[in-house]
Amino acid sequence: MALELNKLTHAVEDLGANAAQRLIELEERLPAAQAVLDAIGVADDELHRKVNAALNFRWAGAIPTDEPVNAAFPLPPHPARLNVIAADGSQIYPDRHGVSLYYLVNVGSIVFRHGLPEAPSTASQPEVFFEDADLYEEDGGQIPSVKIDAERDLRELRELARLAAAEATTAPTVTLLDNGLLLYITLQVPDQKLIDEVIGAYLAQLDALQRSGAASAGVVDRPRAASVIRLLRLATLALNEIGEAELRTLGPFQHITDGMLFGFLRPGERSALFVNASPANLDRYRPRGHTIYLFYLNAGRPGKDSILRVEVPEWIAQDRARLDLVHTAIYEQCRASDGFPYVLMRAHELAVVTAGERRAFDQMVSGALIRRGLHAGISQKAQGKAWTGAGKRRYPR
Amino acid sequence: MPDTITIGRLLRSSTTGFVFGCSVPEPEVPLFGAFVKVPAQKGQTEVMGLIYNIAVEDDLFVRQMVAAPDLDEAYIQDQRANRQVPIEVSVLAVGYRSSAGLSYALPPQPPITLDRIHPCSRAEVLEFTARFDYLRLILDSPEAPADELIAASLRLAASARPPEDRAFFLREAGKELARLLSRDLARLENLLRRIRP
Repeated sequence: MALELNKLTHAVEDLGANAAQRLIELEERLPAAQAVLDAIGVADDELHRKVNAALNFRWAGAIPTDEPVNAAFPLPPHPARLNVIAADGSQIYPDRHGVSLYYLVNVGSIVFRHGLPEAPSTASQPEVFFEDADLYEEDGGQIPSVKIDAERDLRELRELARLAAAEATTAPTVTLLDNGLLLYITLQVPDQKLIDEVIGAYLAQLDALQRSGAASAGVVDRPRAASVIRLLRLATLALNEIGEAELRTLGPFQHITDGMLFGFLRPGERSALFVNASPANLDRYRPRGHTIYLFYLNAGRPGKDSILRVEVPEWIAQDRARLDLVHTAIYEQCRASDGFPYVLMRAHELAVVTAGERRAFDQMVSGALIRRGLHAGISQKAQGKAWTGAGKRRYPR
Repeated sequence: MPDTITIGRLLRSSTTGFVFGCSVPEPEVPLFGAFVKVPAQKGQTEVMGLIYNIAVEDDLFVRQMVAAPDLDEAYIQDQRANRQVPIEVSVLAVGYRSSAGLSYALPPQPPITLDRIHPCSRAEVLEFTARFDYLRLILDSPEAPADELIAASLRLAASARPPEDRAFFLREAGKELARLLSRDLARLENLLRRIRP
């Protein structure tokens, strides 16, 4: 084998010891963070002044709402009839070493009707892109992967909006995405025109979801974010200490995550709502009436916590009935699949392009090329990888 | 039993038998001991077989759901109707039909992947079981539970006949089994008890 595992034995032992030590250190510092959270309670004017000051430095923390930041909201009752819709996407990026240059986006979706004794409706919708206009930028360069990701994200949301329009007329309806609702394209590319185009199209789909009457949310499993931790750091600073350098670090809360902070939530409970202070949210989503809020939810069971980060647009955050619907729908869905919504697992299953399916698709493409008298080979580099990556047979020396 | 429906598609095969996959079983198909048929040799032959095992496969997703309490019916229907986890049905080849008629022997060539499997019609069951030559193939099979399979298939074949003919058919089958198992009387007695009219 190329990876000689015996040479890594000691490093792996060190990795384990390091992880254990780091956890001990974090757990020692966690009570201090929770004490600050408790001390804040309902955010006062002073904390809001600090938040406003921090926003001048493009601070990306969590803005408190009227809810006490240390609150734990119990699980609301689940309605007898509820539709839960999920969509997820996957893609094949263009491969210049492949049989032909193309990219593919596949979106899987499921409509799950609680309270009806019928199988959910499932679908997957693939589309392949191969025209020059699809594959090349104006400067002649190949389409960047971030643009394909944006196309996939947009299609996921469009599918949700399409399904919600039909389903929300039959029963209360919740739509779920396997990700946050904020697109991070603003952090990934400098091209303002592209950002405007992508976010504009995305917000148009959020408009459609809002019109459908469905309650929409994005779900992030095992969140690594430290948005609320940033708020705690801000709370410990004096107003006149707030500056770019101070906000860049988390001080005594370094490496603690929101997920750890909200470890006190019991199964079924959610945290308080916060506004995501990301500049993309405040500059682009808020003016269109789609400010993204977030809360944490323990979607686990006794003995096995599962802290999820849930993002909702303002038209859900400010509507307690539909917020409760999102809360209870996610928890109920997680009960079936032990900590992550069932419908999101199924949507992923319907969307994912496996290695075998990709090989089969490439064979279809090869066939189409050969029928037109074209060469359908992969590059010698890719061929070499296929030969050498398939596992070696070694003969005794 | 209608003979036009497809009850599954072939997953793998060999000369001695084949395995096909199907979605959620209907109450009537597939049944242990039932006769099925599948084309082979590009339609030149039709392999006849007996279902000797029906296995419901699982996967990790289903496994973790087993422990979840009070599941909504929609979860169960999703797993059964939408997810493509096939039910695997094993079939023992017991004969084949060619232009020369029925042969009670292993087919010259097995069927191939994704071929359609059909249940044998009542008329085909009557025609095939007019002779008992296929019983030797079952008894010689190392994979199939031979005694159970013989008993189940004979009872199904008897039920395909008019009521007045059933006892005669089973007595004739018993005579053939007595000939085949003349050196294993304990096994014979056990089998005869199972097919007693």
